[in-house]
Order: sequence, then structure tokens, then C-alpha cells
Amino acid sequence: MLETRNLSKSFGAIQVTRNVSLKLERGERRVILGPNGAGKTTLFNLLVGELTPDAGSVHLAGEDVTALPVAKRARRGLSRSYQKNTLFDGLTVEQNLGLAAALYTGHATRLWSDSLAKPEVREIVAEVAEQVNLMPHLHARVSEVSYGVRRQLEVGVALATRPLVLLMDEPTSGVGPEMSKGFHDLLNNLPRDLTLLIIEHDMDLAFDVADTITVLNYGEVVFDGLPEEARGSKLLKEIYLGSWEDA
Amino acid sequence: MFKHNTLRYAVLVLLAAGALFQALTAEYFGLEILTEILILAMLVLALDIVAGFGGMVSLCHGALMGVGAYAFALLAGQAGIAPVLAMAGAVAFSGGIAWVIGAICARSHGIYFIMATLAFGQMAYSFVFESPVLGGDDGISGIARLDLTQIGVDLNDSRSFALFCLALLAVVYGASVLILRSGLGRSLSGVMHNEQRMRALGLTVWRVKADVFGLSGMIAGLAGALAAQHSMFISPGLLSWTVSGEALVVVILGGLGTLVGPLVGAVAFVVLKHELSAITTYWHLIVGVILIAVVMSRANGIFGWIEARWGARIERRVADATRKQQPDGVASDA
Amino acid sequence: MSLDLGFWALQGLNALQLSMLLFLLSIGLTVIFGLMHFVNLAHGSLYALGAYFAATLAGFGGYWAGFFLAPVAVAGVGVLLYSGLIRRMRKSGPMAQVLVTFGLIFAMLDLTRLFWGDLALAIEVPEVLGGRVALLGIEYPTYRLFIIALGLAIFAALAFVLGRTQIGAMIRAGVDNDAMAACLGINVERLFFIVFCVGCALAGLAGAVAAPLLSVTPDMGLQILIPTLIVIVIGGLGSLKGAIAGSLIFGFVQTFGAVLAPQLASVLIYALLAAVLVVKPVGLFPAKG
Repeated sequence: MLETRNLSKSFGAIQVTRNVSLKLERGERRVILGPNGAGKTTLFNLLVGELTPDAGSVHLAGEDVTALPVAKRARRGLSRSYQKNTLFDGLTVEQNLGLAAALYTGHATRLWSDSLAKPEVREIVAEVAEQVNLMPHLHARVSEVSYGVRRQLEVGVALATRPLVLLMDEPTSGVGPEMSKGFHDLLNNLPRDLTLLIIEHDMDLAFDVADTITVLNYGEVVFDGLPEEARGSKLLKEIYLGSWEDA
Repeated sequence: MFKHNTLRYAVLVLLAAGALFQALTAEYFGLEILTEILILAMLVLALDIVAGFGGMVSLCHGALMGVGAYAFALLAGQAGIAPVLAMAGAVAFSGGIAWVIGAICARSHGIYFIMATLAFGQMAYSFVFESPVLGGDDGISGIARLDLTQIGVDLNDSRSFALFCLALLAVVYGASVLILRSGLGRSLSGVMHNEQRMRALGLTVWRVKADVFGLSGMIAGLAGALAAQHSMFISPGLLSWTVSGEALVVVILGGLGTLVGPLVGAVAFVVLKHELSAITTYWHLIVGVILIAVVMSRANGIFGWIEARWGARIERRVADATRKQQPDGVASDA
Repeated sequence: MSLDLGFWALQGLNALQLSMLLFLLSIGLTVIFGLMHFVNLAHGSLYALGAYFAATLAGFGGYWAGFFLAPVAVAGVGVLLYSGLIRRMRKSGPMAQVLVTFGLIFAMLDLTRLFWGDLALAIEVPEVLGGRVALLGIEYPTYRLFIIALGLAIFAALAFVLGRTQIGAMIRAGVDNDAMAACLGINVERLFFIVFCVGCALAGLAGAVAAPLLSVTPDMGLQILIPTLIVIVIGGLGSLKGAIAGSLIFGFVQTFGAVLAPQLASVLIYALLAAVLVVKPVGLFPAKG
């Protein structure tokens, strides 16, 4: 469903992504682990097109999308959430979801109809709000809801475009352990045919949700396999846990 | 995102009633002022759509209005096309120009967007100023008004012309509301609140900006075609950046992003200008000081200020009511 | 009109003179923007004010009194503006700043009319600079050469101050990242204040030296504003290099455009600006990437 081949990117003299080749099957849930500065977010930016790679290619559903701009990749089913909330702050939760849903239904650029009033759009909004537990907050402005609710909305907005592949950049970043557990359930209850790629710091969540695990270090894939193998891997412990404890 | 509330409806009704009353009872000078207000109101509606709901602070809307005025004068005068069609042509032409400007400037933000639109506006100004075909510095005179005698309206009569402008302004207001409430308008709001996210969700941002800028340019062009017919004379001064600057001042004085506010601003600005210029030649000084005071006060213009006060009162009342009804009431939808 | 060497020399010098005048104006505006992210549309009004001060002072103490005191007087106005308005507008968005300074343009336009009337004033060129100099096969007015020399001298001085002195390093640090500069113990507010006043003084100086070339009128500030803005947007906001490059581009395109393709001249510069904004939306030499 999503594949990269020999993806590389440098900023000046610093190579932040080295020869990364990944392959995600449809419905696969993969967690990317790695210490700070391992190049995880850069990899996401390369995948969605916010950065262009120096070398290598990105393939979505069997098609080479390396040359496509961000918006076109998104329309082909690639969606992402951000580590730092990237929401429409002045608008209500419902409007946030509606703007995203309208892009899926194709009402977002129509002049003759109100996208947010369309039944198709409202249906998606209701469904996603249910999935990410936003029902009680639909009519509140983003600026009025708590940080945890905003984190849920961050994922909700990404889901409302009905993606084939969803990239989540540390969905539980900054939320407490209790909320974090809620996120596990939320993720586990997502439709099984949705392909997930999740950057995560929280090892528990990683092992709880992941079908497969990829570990990045210095921009390089140093481990690629099943969670059970990862748990026992000495290499992973050295690289990942070592830096984890340092940090 | 645009939404009418009771206050907005009330102010609209008041404005419409006032304009209608003025149009039916005023003498020549009063009608001239009214028409000036109506045309400026149309221009500032166009500007509020892009600046207030899309964050595109344009300093070329005066020029777009001028483009509409010149296009109308050329089509109706030199080319001899029926004035109704000439007006449609002028609207379409300024819309097209605006679309191109919007598309090119879509990548620029903040001060760069302001400067880029300023550049395009000045480009149009210089072009007109230097073109002998367009009358250069002298402008074009003897522009005929629309001929509606078939339906029994003589637009050469000031009263009829004022009513005609009022009717068109009402149509334009309705169209503006529809634009802002359409999928396109909603997406533009999304872009203003978070452009990066809209793009990541799959929106071709420049297209939306260009489309709305083009629609706004059509409205500005219509205002220009009316301005040309109103004074029956046009000169490059119409395209000068200070016209755009004044339009922006009116939007800000009225209340950015409220649609109703700029209408209030247009009334205030024209009346203030005429009242002040009657007593002093230094009216710019007073307008300048008022502008500085309004912006420094951080209120969103006259209307924004009223709305904030009114909103606070309503909220208090709602809060009181909910407290009485249920001890732990939920916050109301603002 | 023959396109011989004399023609090129004459127009080249004219272009250079226009460039230097614009440089004096744009450098203040651009560094103020780079350091404070503040867009001062009233910068042109300060230039007009400089010309008026120079005209008045010249009436009492001759040209040089105006030349030296007008910038000081304009800097004084700058102090008033800074403490009254600018400091409070520092945290506002670009639009609020554009509008407040737009209001200032209105106010200052009428204030100059109130004090000095609507009639144009004129200043005589001082006797030392009154003649013509034979140069590159042409006779060129000494006063215009003086403007070129002055512009180059100010450029050299600013390049030295910005590149080699401690306060220059502080300004560069502030342009680069003002929060970081503040963390390093630089008094950013005081730095802003100094830069703003120097920018105002340079605008006043530009007005004073331009006064004998043009007639001094209330709207001269409005007329110079657009060219100045074009210069800094083409050059890229915030950098000395951008200001000089933009000034030279504007001066040469404008001057040679006017003599070689008079029909296109005025559109040409705007088209160039549009092209720059399309290719490089932040100008040719922005202070930061």
C-alpha cells in the first residue's frame, strides 16, 4: 500500500534520511521507533511530500507519487496527523472535521453548495467524532477544549478524509498515561483495512498496537520486523533504550 | 466562518431602511453621497471577502475597480457594445485579472502578499496612465449610463441611479454571503486558519485563493462599472493605490471579517469625509488619527466593537439563565 | 539622442544617483523590518519631513544647516513615533502595522500642509556643489555626484558597522533570531530603538539631499514610498545587500527604461517586481532563508 525505495535526504552536510526502504501491506499497522533526531518526522515529511527527497521514491497503492505535491498525495488517500497540534483553532470541532470530510466528498471547492451542510459530510463528521470520542465537544471551539481533546481531534481531522494510509506523528505526545491508554483503544478500534504508520515514543503503545516495528537510528533503518523480535533484540535495546535513558 | 446573528440582521435591516429612505427623500447632493456610499460599500464587500475570510490583505482592489471602470468605458464607448453586455464584460474582465493576480500571489504571505498585490495594482495604474488609447492622464469622459427605459427606469435621474446601485448592492451582499457559505468559502476559511493543514488534507490551496480572489475581483469590477457610470468620467486616479488603501481603511474601521461591518464603515467614511471636508481641508489628518486610534484600540472596528459588547451581554444573560435552570450548565455555543 | 558613450555615462550616473537616494531610504526601512518585523509605511513621510526641515533650516543657516540638522530633527520625530506608537504595535500583525502607519501617512500629510502650506518650497544647491564636473566625456552636475558619493559613503559606513563592529553583530543576531539574541543578553528593545532612530535619520537625510533636486511638496513622501517598497521587496527584507541590490536594480531599470522604452518604463519595474515575487517570493537577498 505504501512503499519507499532507497529514500535519502540531507540538510546541508547532515544526512537525516539514509537509504530508507519500507513496505507496508494494506491494513498493516506499523510503529516507527527511534531516539530523538533519528529522522522519524523527516521521513513523514518525505512521505507526504512536505519535503522532496534527494534520492529514492515513494509509492502509494502501487503508483510512484514522488513527484506529486502534498495535496495530490493526500487526495490519493495519504493522510497524516502532526506531533504538534495543527488544527483550525478559531473554528469548532465540528467545522474542523467538516473541512476535512468535504475534501473527501469533493464539496470543498464547490461554489453552489455549503460543504458543511451536506449530508455526506455530516455523516463522515458524525462517524469520525464517534471513532475518536469527540461527540460531546462537537460544538466547542478548538480554543475552548482541553489539550487531550485536541490530540483526539488531531487524529480525527486526519481520519475525516477517509484515507487509505494514515501517518500519525506521536499521537499520544504530551498526554498523560490514562489518556494514552485511551489512545491504544482508539487505535485498535480503527477499521482493519486502514494502513497505519505511527511514530511513537511510548514502547507500550508500540507493542500494543503494532503488527510490525521499524526502528530508525541516524536516519537509517536498523530494525524491521515483528514486535516479538523487537522486544528481544539486543541491537534495539542498545540503540533505542540506550538513548531513551540518556534522554 | 461567516454566520449571521441577530445583531447582524438588525444592522442590515437598519442600513437598508436608511438607504431606501435616503434614496426616496434626499435631494441631488444627498443622492450623490448615497451613491458614493453604495459603490464604496460594494468595493469593501469585495475586499472583506478576501481579507477578512481568506487573510489575503489586498492593496490592489482599487485598481481592480478601476479595471472594471475602464473596461466598461471601453466596451460601451469605443467598442459600442450594449451597456448591459459591457457591464457583464467589465465584471468578467476584472474577475479574470483578479484571478491571475490571486494565482500569482497565492504563494506570498503577510507583508509580501500586501506588497505583491500593491505591485500589480500599480502596474495597472501605470499602464492606464501611459496608454494614449485609455486617455492617459486625462482619462475618459462622456461615459453613458445603462439604458433601462424599456422597463421604465431612467438612470440619468440621480434617484433612479441610486436605487439601481442599492439593488445591485443587495444582490452583491447576497452573493457574498453565498460565496462565504459555499464549499469554496468554507475551504478558504480553513486556509486562513491553517494553510498547511488544508494542504495536507488535500486542498489545492492556490486554486481556492485564486478562485475567491477572482470572484472578489468581479465584485470590485462591478463597483468600477457603476463608478464610471456614476461620475460619467474616469481617470487613472481611480486605480491609484491610495484608493485601495482607503478601502482597506474602511474595512478595518467597520470591522474586518464581519461583512456587515464594512458596510457600516463605508457609511461612516463617506459621511465623515464630506462632513469634515466641509469644515476643514485637513480631513485626512482627522481620518488618520481615527484610524490609528481604532487599530491601536485592538477592537475589530466599529461594528466589531459593538458586536463584542453585544456578544458579552448576551453571553452573560445566557450564563445567568443556565445558572438559574441547572446548577452545572454547559457553555453555550459562541 | 545618440547612443554614444556620453549617453551611457550620463544615464548611468543618473541611474546611480537615483539608486543612492533610494538606498538611503530603503536601508532604514529594511533593517527596521528585519530587526523588528515592523512595516513602516510612513517612512516616506519622514523623508518628506526631512525635506521640509531642510528647507526651513536652510532659510536660517544655509544649506549645510539643513543637511546636518534635518536628519537629527527627523530622528527626534522618530523618537516620538517610537515611544508613542511603534513600541505598542510591535507585537501586532503586519496588517495592523500597515494600517497604523497608513493612518500616519494621512496625518503627517496634513500636518506638513498645516505647518508649511500647500505651495512647493525650493532649496538652493550650495555654491561649492553648484557647478558641473567634466567626467567620462560629459559635464555632470556636481550636486548629483555629491549624492552618489554620499550614498556610497553611507553604504560603506553601514557595511562596516554591520559587518565589523559589536553593535553590528548584535543587529545581525537580532535580525537572525531576536528571541535568541535576547537570551544572549542583548537588550533587544534598546537595539530596536537605536535602529529605528538611525533609520529615521537616514530618511530625513534622503529628504534633505533630495530637496534641491525636486520641489518640496506635501505628497513627496507618498511618491517615494512605492519605489522604496519595491526596492526592499525586490532586494529581500532585512538585509543591507538586498537594499543596495534593490536600489541599483530599480535605479537602472527606471532610468534606462524611461529613455530606451518610454512606453514601457513604468510598467517594466512593476513587472520585474512581480517576476521576482513569483520566482523568489521573499526577494533576492532576504536576511534569513
